[in-house]
Amino acid sequence: MFLFFSELLGRSVIDSEGKSLGKLVDLKVKIGELFPMVVTLRIRKRGAKAPLALDWSEVESLNGNLVTLKLDAEKKFKDLQLNEGEILLKEELLDKQVVDTYGAKIERVNDIHLLIANGELRIVHVDFGMRGIFRRLGWIKMVDFLTNWFFAYQLPEKMISWKYIQPLASDPQKKNLILNVTLRKLHELHPSDLADIIEDLDQGKRATVFKSLDTQTAAETLEEVDPKLQASLIESASEEKASDILEEMAPDEAADFLADLPEEKKSKLIQTMEKPHREKLEELLTFEEGTAGSIMTKDFISIQEDKTISEAIDEFRKTTHPLETIAYLYVTDKENHLVGVLTVRHLLLCVNEAPLSKLMNTHLIKVKPDEDVKEVEEIFKKYKFMAIPVVDEGNHLTGIITLRDAVESKYKEF
Amino acid sequence: MPKDFIKSRWKTLLIFLAVVGPGIITSNVDNDAGGITTYTLAGAKYGYGLLWSLIPIMVVLVIIQEMSARMGVVTGKGLSDLIRERFGVRITFYLLLAILLTNFGNVIAEFAGVASSLGIINIPKYVSVPLAAFVVWLLVVKGTYRSVEKVFLYACLFYVAYIISGFLAKPDWGSVTNELIKPRLQFSAGSLGMLMGLVGTTIAPWMQFYLQAAVVEKNIKVKDYKHSRADVVLGSFIVTIVAGFIILTCAATLFKAGIPVNNAADAALALKPLAGRYCSYLFAFGLLNASLFAASILPLSTAFVVCEGMGWENGVNKKFSEAPQFYGLYSLLIFLGAGIILLPGIPLFPVMYISQVINGIVLPVLLIFILILINDKKLMGEYVNKRVYNFLSWATVIGLILLSFGLLISILRG
Repeated sequence: MFLFFSELLGRSVIDSEGKSLGKLVDLKVKIGELFPMVVTLRIRKRGAKAPLALDWSEVESLNGNLVTLKLDAEKKFKDLQLNEGEILLKEELLDKQVVDTYGAKIERVNDIHLLIANGELRIVHVDFGMRGIFRRLGWIKMVDFLTNWFFAYQLPEKMISWKYIQPLASDPQKKNLILNVTLRKLHELHPSDLADIIEDLDQGKRATVFKSLDTQTAAETLEEVDPKLQASLIESASEEKASDILEEMAPDEAADFLADLPEEKKSKLIQTMEKPHREKLEELLTFEEGTAGSIMTKDFISIQEDKTISEAIDEFRKTTHPLETIAYLYVTDKENHLVGVLTVRHLLLCVNEAPLSKLMNTHLIKVKPDEDVKEVEEIFKKYKFMAIPVVDEGNHLTGIITLRDAVESKYKEF
Repeated sequence: MPKDFIKSRWKTLLIFLAVVGPGIITSNVDNDAGGITTYTLAGAKYGYGLLWSLIPIMVVLVIIQEMSARMGVVTGKGLSDLIRERFGVRITFYLLLAILLTNFGNVIAEFAGVASSLGIINIPKYVSVPLAAFVVWLLVVKGTYRSVEKVFLYACLFYVAYIISGFLAKPDWGSVTNELIKPRLQFSAGSLGMLMGLVGTTIAPWMQFYLQAAVVEKNIKVKDYKHSRADVVLGSFIVTIVAGFIILTCAATLFKAGIPVNNAADAALALKPLAGRYCSYLFAFGLLNASLFAASILPLSTAFVVCEGMGWENGVNKKFSEAPQFYGLYSLLIFLGAGIILLPGIPLFPVMYISQVINGIVLPVLLIFILILINDKKLMGEYVNKRVYNFLSWATVIGLILLSFGLLISILRG
């Protein structure tokens, strides 16, 4: 039998002889199972100030508008205890915000749909719809009558299965516990959706959700989130985790983001990073805003000119972390001077033994790190490249600028 | 050392400028068409006699608004959000319905203000009102929060019109100072009613919601809260100065000449022979600016508050299709509000009457909610009201409740 939590709330609780004991004010649920089970009732006894707790096993039936208890249940009332992985439905779920991982957005809980089967009461759905609101206002019959009469229409239920729900407890001490239990669905969301969700939350919950993400998801999400929020998010994570996240981010994104942090925080974070990441970042941070250097990335594949196609393919395979662009491979001589460029087409179409120096394109369009960003935009407009190499005064390859970086710098909201 | 000092001062100023906005905007919207009418009548009927009352009103304004700003900064949540989570859907629904109705009345008043101020330079309302409604609607539907706030902040500058017209009216500064230093309390029924009107127009339910929402939207950190408080104080100060100059203008001219007026547009017309063309035009321009300003903020704030409380998507950064209820409500308020003004021979009085009555009922409820929420340790942590401040704010709220009941009774008795 299905029933709504709002219909249960406030029901009279009677003992086995029919004597009224008090009113039901809340239910405690143990989270973790697919459809979590109600374990405890919270009952306000007549005239009592604080409500007391009673195990669900003491309930005989939920018929009519009554909660009937078993024999001698009255002696088993005790003080409420909240253990790990347990939440109170009214206090922590009803009317609160949750993440709907199915629709990838924040919703407010209007009601909770419960199922009684085999003597157990379980959460099955969460109600986000107008029907839930009207039901709780006591208008649902009138609304149904009116919409049926006028439009031959009935307001649809808008319920989402519990398995897609991510509750967000507001009590600071309990935050982590709830998320650890049910975090399962959150990381399946696209980072852009996660970023939107985080932006919609209040400060406390933002930190909670962000902290619950694994390093890679956190890095991708951080790149997508409104720049104004980035600093406060990373500050909410522990220093170690923060530097892990930074390592995971594309170096140019990480540098942009670090540039906005206070000096002290910045140097601390950089110090905790691992060496190769740190060096890349420190170099990127030396470039002034508005120059090519400030938007370039160190994420690219370069290979020496004396290698062959098959060696280049091997090099490509060795690069496990996702690159910003795989359109080009840059060819250098022994001293890291940029001498040519190859495209992925070359790798796919040319014979394995072909030497790179014969195939590569040596007519290079490149920029210096101190070049104005506007100049870079012009080059992209004119040549329609996917990326441009950046070289220093001595023609050493120092980085690349991808089309995406250029677009992002022109349209900040991208 | 002095260099450091200057640097830290400079930094403080920058933070303040980043935080500033919500308080100033909220207070200025407070001087809307209804407010200006009340100040005009106060000056025209009682001369400088009620000038003193603006000082206690300013203090009350600061106390009430400071609490909303603090809740916004600390919880990161809007007021209707907090009310929904604390008091449940039923109370929230009826409260929001009441807010919707009273704000709708105010929106109508703003468009009436547009019609009558532009009527002075012979622009028929059938041109001015639809145009104003369209401009206001477009601003939000097509703008982003940042651009909208900028427009609003510039609109605040135009309130200078009233200060200039105050000087043009050549008030008797001697008696102004005299009235401020030695206030004469008049206990005639008329002046008491006027006093209640002054308080009622300055402290309205919608502004608590708007202020808190704007603070949340700005994502102000707790450590920058003191700047937010300064913003509130500054806003309340500006609003008082503007109100004072409106009263001055009317006291120095209309009261002295004994000309009875019924509304602000009347007053602007009557100023022409008394204080010159420019004074009259500035007065009318001030009314136009105030009406337009409030007409764009009130529907926005109302739609925001209702959607937040009911759990619908909201915010000017969302697209129409993402937040249909938000934009729907917003558009409805504007076009219905403007449309009512255009109906020939529409009696505005009953609409205003109902709106004021609801206002008088909602304000006490809301203020008590605010006090309960701000003293909630779970919510506010160490930022709950301090003991003395709590005493002060309870006293203020009880005073306001008595006043609004007084006003209610006087309205109901006609």
